[in-house]
Amino acid sequence: MKQLLLITDGCSNVGVSPVIAAAHAKAEGITVNVIGVVERGESISSAEIEIEEIARAGGGMSRIVNPRQLSQTVQMMTRKTVVTTIQQAVNRELRQVFGAESVEALPPDRRGEVVRVIDELGESAPLKVALLIDASGSMRPKLPAVEEAIRDLVLSLQARSGKSEIAVFHFPDSEDGEGCVCDLDWTDNIAGVKRILPKLEMRGTTPTGPAMMQVIDFFRRGDYGRTNRGETDGMMGEDVV
Amino acid sequence: MKTSSELRLAPGSVVTGKWKGGRYRVERLLGEGANGRVYLVEHGRRLYAMKVGGDAVDLQSEINALRALAARRRRAEPFLVAVDDFVHRDGSEHPFYIMRYVRGRALHEYLQREGADWFPLVGYNLLGRLAELHEAGFAFGDLKRENVLVGDYGRVELVDYGGATAFGKSVRQFTELYDRGYWNAGSRTAEPGYDLFSFAVLCLHLFEGRRLLQLSQTLLPQNRSPAELIRLTESHPALKPFAGWLQRALRGEFASAREAAAAWQRILYGGIAKPVRRRSSSAGWAAGLFACTMLALAATILWLMTEGVLPAGLP
Repeated sequence: MKQLLLITDGCSNVGVSPVIAAAHAKAEGITVNVIGVVERGESISSAEIEIEEIARAGGGMSRIVNPRQLSQTVQMMTRKTVVTTIQQAVNRELRQVFGAESVEALPPDRRGEVVRVIDELGESAPLKVALLIDASGSMRPKLPAVEEAIRDLVLSLQARSGKSEIAVFHFPDSEDGEGCVCDLDWTDNIAGVKRILPKLEMRGTTPTGPAMMQVIDFFRRGDYGRTNRGETDGMMGEDVV
Repeated sequence: MKTSSELRLAPGSVVTGKWKGGRYRVERLLGEGANGRVYLVEHGRRLYAMKVGGDAVDLQSEINALRALAARRRRAEPFLVAVDDFVHRDGSEHPFYIMRYVRGRALHEYLQREGADWFPLVGYNLLGRLAELHEAGFAFGDLKRENVLVGDYGRVELVDYGGATAFGKSVRQFTELYDRGYWNAGSRTAEPGYDLFSFAVLCLHLFEGRRLLQLSQTLLPQNRSPAELIRLTESHPALKPFAGWLQRALRGEFASAREAAAAWQRILYGGIAKPVRRRSSSAGWAAGLFACTMLALAATILWLMTEGVLPAGLP
């Protein structure tokens, strides 16, 4: 299961539309969730529509929250998305086995077992969550809350029985202002990481779309490496690949 | 099936089960849980609680936990009564289940009304409830004041099983303030110690609520720790006898809720638990009230004696 979680507070203003990027992600089997972080009294009504649309294109959900609610929202969204992904897969099976369209179409007495399977798979299926953080100007005071939410998510993921990894990216890239920077490669443990998001001189651009495209590519490369390692049958080292 | 987050059932409306045909008349809204709304309903001249879920899968997970619990508590009156769906006027379908209606108050309201002297007993009964659920293989997960209902004479019922999680899995739902992970005190894996930690925070919330909230608001995330919570266990007279117990729970030293309940019980009857003495600083009015009561009592006794109901010379 692959998820991309975008945390932002404004509209994109450079490069490809994030809605198109989200549709790309969905095509690659990556669910896109979006959280808009707003301080009290701050209005991002123009961005709200974009946030909603990105999530819709990416098959995920969107929420507008204040920094204090961030940890819980990240945790809840990740979990719900896992369940939904599993549910979609299970529904396909149900159609074949029972001719029922979905779990809801089964009589309540027969749902119990199916839901047990969903719960079990939701716990044990491997999960990768890429977090893409908007680090442009106005997000700056909210970054400590973002950092806390990331640590909190790792804590929740560690309680799963399946392999769970996160990667963290921020944008814009301070070098060219165009794409994103990888702050943390796939990992399941960040206990030793003092600071996830570096202190940056932030530029004014918000290249949400291009940054998402880069993360999708990052997922793709990860999959590529994995498939090849599998084919070596574990006998030879990675250097052969 | 649509989500029922917008669905509100008006008092007087009748819900008919799609599969089993049971008819339930809505009396009023009782409350809102994480997975849906709970209504008071009437069925066959009896009152029940009906939970209407937002999502069939989430609700079914909850039902699975309740079934496992019911299998353990065979002799007791069943908590889970029926499971069904209904079709709303607008065509949307909603899953629901019917459970026993528990008359009672949320824990903190009960203690405010009936007095803190009930706390040791209510705490003990709550530990018993947790132990039962644990023996069925589940952690409760989202233990907090609102999810503990107290009826007559301190009887306790857990409500809202939305967080109930099979042992070994990651806790499905939790509230930050009560969460072991939030306080850097351990994992979010469902196990007996997870609920016992929440239980300890619950006790702190009841008597040291302000200090507890202050801690959570002022401490940096990396500085939240069980040691900070332990500091809250020693000052309030209602908590003092249980300070040692609370420290063990916060440090995760109990192997099971039964063991924890037994330790609690030893304090109850070990003579350590004295009736709660109210702090004079914060409860001056209570002292005044007490004095008035004594005056009234004295007057009554005097009257009874003059009427000859009580023998004179009684102390």
